Amino acid sequence: MWKEIERRESGKIRPHLFASRLKSRRVASMQLSNSKDIVSPHRGSINSLQVDLTEGRYLLSAASDASVAVYDVQQPQDYEGGGLIAKHKSILVLDKQHEEGHKYAVSSAVWYPIDTGLFITGSYDNSIKVWDTNTTQMVMNFKMPGKVYTTAMSPLATSHMLIAAGTEDVQVRLCDIASGAFAHTLSGHHDGVMTAQWSASNEWVLITGGCDGAIRFWDIRRAGCFRVLDQSHSQLGRRPPVLSRVTAKASTSKVLLGGQNTSAKTGMALRKLSYSNGTKQASAGKILAKTSSKQRLHPGMMSIRDRATAHYGAVTGLRVTEDGMYLLSTGSDSRLRLWDIKSGCNTLVNFETVRLQTNKAIQLAISPDSSHVFVPCMASVKAFDFWSGKTFMTFRGHYENVNCCWFSSRDQELYTAGNDRQILVWSPFVSQEMEEEAALDRDCWSD
Amino acid sequence: MCMEEDGGKVRALIEKATNSTAGEVDPRLLKCIKSLVRYSNTELQIAAHTLMTLMKRNHSQVRFLSLHIVDELFMRSKLFRNLIIKNLDQLLTLSVGFRRNAPLPAPLGIASRLRAKAIEFLEKWNASFGIHYRQLRLGFDYLKNTLKFQFPDSQGNAARIQQERMEREIRTREIMQKKFSALKDNFTSIKEEVLSAIHEIEQCLDIVHTRDELVPLTHIDDEDELHSHELLQIRLASLKEGGRVHENKDNKVVFDTIRELYKLLVTKHLPLIQESINIVVRVDAIDSKVRDSTLKELINLQNKIHAGKRRCENSVSDVLVSRSHSEEEEDFWEEEKVGEVEESTRKTPEEHSDDISLLSICMLNDNSLRCSEKDFSINRNPGCAFVANGSDSMKRKLLAEAPVVKWGSYLDNWGSKDVVLANQRGLELENHWGRVDYDAVIPADKISELNVQATLYKEKQVIAVPCGAPLRSGSFCQRRDLKVCPFHGPIIPRDSEGRPVNQVSSADKRVQYPPNDFVKKLAEESVKNVRTRDREEEEKRMVGKQALKRAKLAKIREHNEVVLRDATFASTSSSATNGGLRYFNGGGESSECSKKHTLSSMLRKKVTRKDKLSRRLLNTRATDAATRQLAEQEDQCYREAFPNQW
Repeated sequence: MWKEIERRESGKIRPHLFASRLKSRRVASMQLSNSKDIVSPHRGSINSLQVDLTEGRYLLSAASDASVAVYDVQQPQDYEGGGLIAKHKSILVLDKQHEEGHKYAVSSAVWYPIDTGLFITGSYDNSIKVWDTNTTQMVMNFKMPGKVYTTAMSPLATSHMLIAAGTEDVQVRLCDIASGAFAHTLSGHHDGVMTAQWSASNEWVLITGGCDGAIRFWDIRRAGCFRVLDQSHSQLGRRPPVLSRVTAKASTSKVLLGGQNTSAKTGMALRKLSYSNGTKQASAGKILAKTSSKQRLHPGMMSIRDRATAHYGAVTGLRVTEDGMYLLSTGSDSRLRLWDIKSGCNTLVNFETVRLQTNKAIQLAISPDSSHVFVPCMASVKAFDFWSGKTFMTFRGHYENVNCCWFSSRDQELYTAGNDRQILVWSPFVSQEMEEEAALDRDCWSD
Repeated sequence: MCMEEDGGKVRALIEKATNSTAGEVDPRLLKCIKSLVRYSNTELQIAAHTLMTLMKRNHSQVRFLSLHIVDELFMRSKLFRNLIIKNLDQLLTLSVGFRRNAPLPAPLGIASRLRAKAIEFLEKWNASFGIHYRQLRLGFDYLKNTLKFQFPDSQGNAARIQQERMEREIRTREIMQKKFSALKDNFTSIKEEVLSAIHEIEQCLDIVHTRDELVPLTHIDDEDELHSHELLQIRLASLKEGGRVHENKDNKVVFDTIRELYKLLVTKHLPLIQESINIVVRVDAIDSKVRDSTLKELINLQNKIHAGKRRCENSVSDVLVSRSHSEEEEDFWEEEKVGEVEESTRKTPEEHSDDISLLSICMLNDNSLRCSEKDFSINRNPGCAFVANGSDSMKRKLLAEAPVVKWGSYLDNWGSKDVVLANQRGLELENHWGRVDYDAVIPADKISELNVQATLYKEKQVIAVPCGAPLRSGSFCQRRDLKVCPFHGPIIPRDSEGRPVNQVSSADKRVQYPPNDFVKKLAEESVKNVRTRDREEEEKRMVGKQALKRAKLAKIREHNEVVLRDATFASTSSSATNGGLRYFNGGGESSECSKKHTLSSMLRKKVTRKDKLSRRLLNTRATDAATRQLAEQEDQCYREAFPNQW
């Protein structure tokens, strides 16, 4: 630690590297926080957790007892045990008592990505509601055709304010907050839609996972989906095998293991170019060729492509990495799959999952440097190494199934919640102990 | 290498401690484990690991004992806490068994005990270390609020008990205050009363002493002759006796007053003063000055009473009592039992020999009464109680009517209308039947109902009168039979010459009868005699038979007892020796003695009567036979009903 600081002081390591090293060390030392206690007012299982994207301060949770609560995770309201335990109480609760509250379980709650003045909740009572945080009043209500499983808003959208809603219905609907109407209806899934995620690199790309086991990519500017992920369509390693003539001299192992930063950057640039609605440039030859080949496919072939599945059974969770290059999905086949978005291939990383919850959508979390993924595995949360799939840590503390987790990159804290109605905070281990703790909690050998 | 060896030791110890059927861990093994683990972190880690693996064992007894060890170490070592906390959910699953897919294993009774203990331990841990371990809080919260387990809530209970005690104390203090103020109000009157009584006694004693010329205490100093201790004692006693005043006709009135006053002093004033002292001591001092002065005066009074009493007793009472025993006086006076007990020094040997437990409240000072119940008074303890002179006839009459009751503690509150506090008998009763209501009251009528004495019917003692029939030798028959003398027929009252008193009339009758009638009568009598003899013989035979039977039974019983005694002796001796040996045997060599009680034997299901029956009745052969029989019966019926159909 001090050596690092010294090296940073002397300029031997760059600030970014220093910060990332510190963060990764903190992540590696995460454990159940004793001093931070979130007092959950929920009386049913918690289905969704999200810390707001602007301040990183307000945690939003939604539970099966039709309640939604907001907590301040930075400022505790109360202390207990002589200042040892900071109690974070809910600063806002919306439940059935609220006259506009949901009637049935709230399946998802997300913050409006631009500020904390709004949040969106989707519920099993067939509605999506938009709430004003400050007045705790409903500002908009969307009637949906069935139970709402998921809602999502694009964190980088600048030109639209669309809520992607996955419901029991086979169609994915896009609800426009600006107009209060459905902007799109995306049809293609054969069953209900469990999860939806907006692309982290392109504001118009939506990724949905359905109960039919398919993960579909939609470009909301045009009709139909433009990609269906196929679990049998795989590649080894992180990158697709680059054409031999390009990488004739470059060693493949180097591509596989090192230099991820540079390649990631180029990849992102490439994809952005390809997705932009400008003229397709010749420099993006590979992708161009792929899309064109897809367009040239035989209609019969099309339908076969359309039937491809990413998981056996339903897709229960989706998560895009922060750089937008990889997609992680979980299915009711208890598998965790890592997809390369650019090529649309299964990277065949073998995650050592034991069992996953199958009947409910689960919420994954990925650390910002894409080194770890946090997956709720029944009553515990497991952290896997992103690239090798090895179990990195196991967070055991819940007494019933965990439904959701959220990694707060600001404090390197992990919030997890599940059927036992508790919200647990996993924070980096602080080595220095308080005086009174040492005084009270110590060995006591009387005999 | 050394570390591993040590670790093995701890593991072996823990395994040995948990491999037992006892209800708790052997304290010596536990101590061993603790002392081993205390000085080495590696061993502690090994212990934690071993305990967790043992907790997974599919046997509730092993889990139960392991949990005990876990608790012992958990309360002591921080490192152990940290190690266990990491797997707390697992530990709880294995000990509480709250997950449906992982219920507690086999011996059901022990499993439920394990669960109860685990819950108790969790509560204890949470109370003491919950602040430091979120996992503990979580587990506790989950079991309590989600699964709604009933926790013993020992802390809350303790607080509640404390509060109840406080309330009770406040109440008693209030009562004390009240009593104290009442005492303060009438303290002067009590004091005057007591003082006057003492004064009177002194005066009376003075009178007695002056009237009786004192026997001079001539102390003869010839101790050389009195070698033995007993002789010396006797002599001293006699000397002391000489110092006492004897009652005679002259000073009888004075003695009576002394007695009355003494009784008053002992029964009324002394307890009163003692109680007041008690109150003053226990009351909370508002003005300690008043309290102190009152206390001082009270103690003075008490001392005075004691002094007066002692003086009284020393000079007078003993003599009185002893004399009342020896002679039949018109009125004799009885020493209060309280005084006797308190003043053990003045007990004479003769009093010791008396059975003082038997006292009577009813006195026999009346001559006529005494005559009728003479034997009764003899049977009774000579140290009988007596109340008053009984000069008035009304009292006498009442006394004559009064029932004679056995002495008992219930006489202490004879006829009192006080209620009794049921739960304030001065000892804290720790029972498990629920909370104790300290204000519970037993009403007076209930008390009297409870004190009703069962009276046993006692057969009147029949005095067999001598037969008294004249014998040939001129004397009278001295046989004492109840009804019939075997030689002279039924016993009847006779006069001094042996002639029956009532037979006169019969003799008269006899005169009236003609002679043939007389013969008839004789024959009748003889027949009757024969019959009675027969009957008697039969009775005798019956009695003999019964006695025989009884003897046989007694023999059988004796035999049974002997057998039983032998059996118990054998079992206890073997178990005692083996049980003693078991501890000293090394690790697994205890197989032969623990054949009866092993962990696996606990798992085995007990064969109940029902099982045996079902084995008998539900096996295939039996069921087959039953069905066959039923079918045959049906067949038979059918054939009988329709004989022409086949």
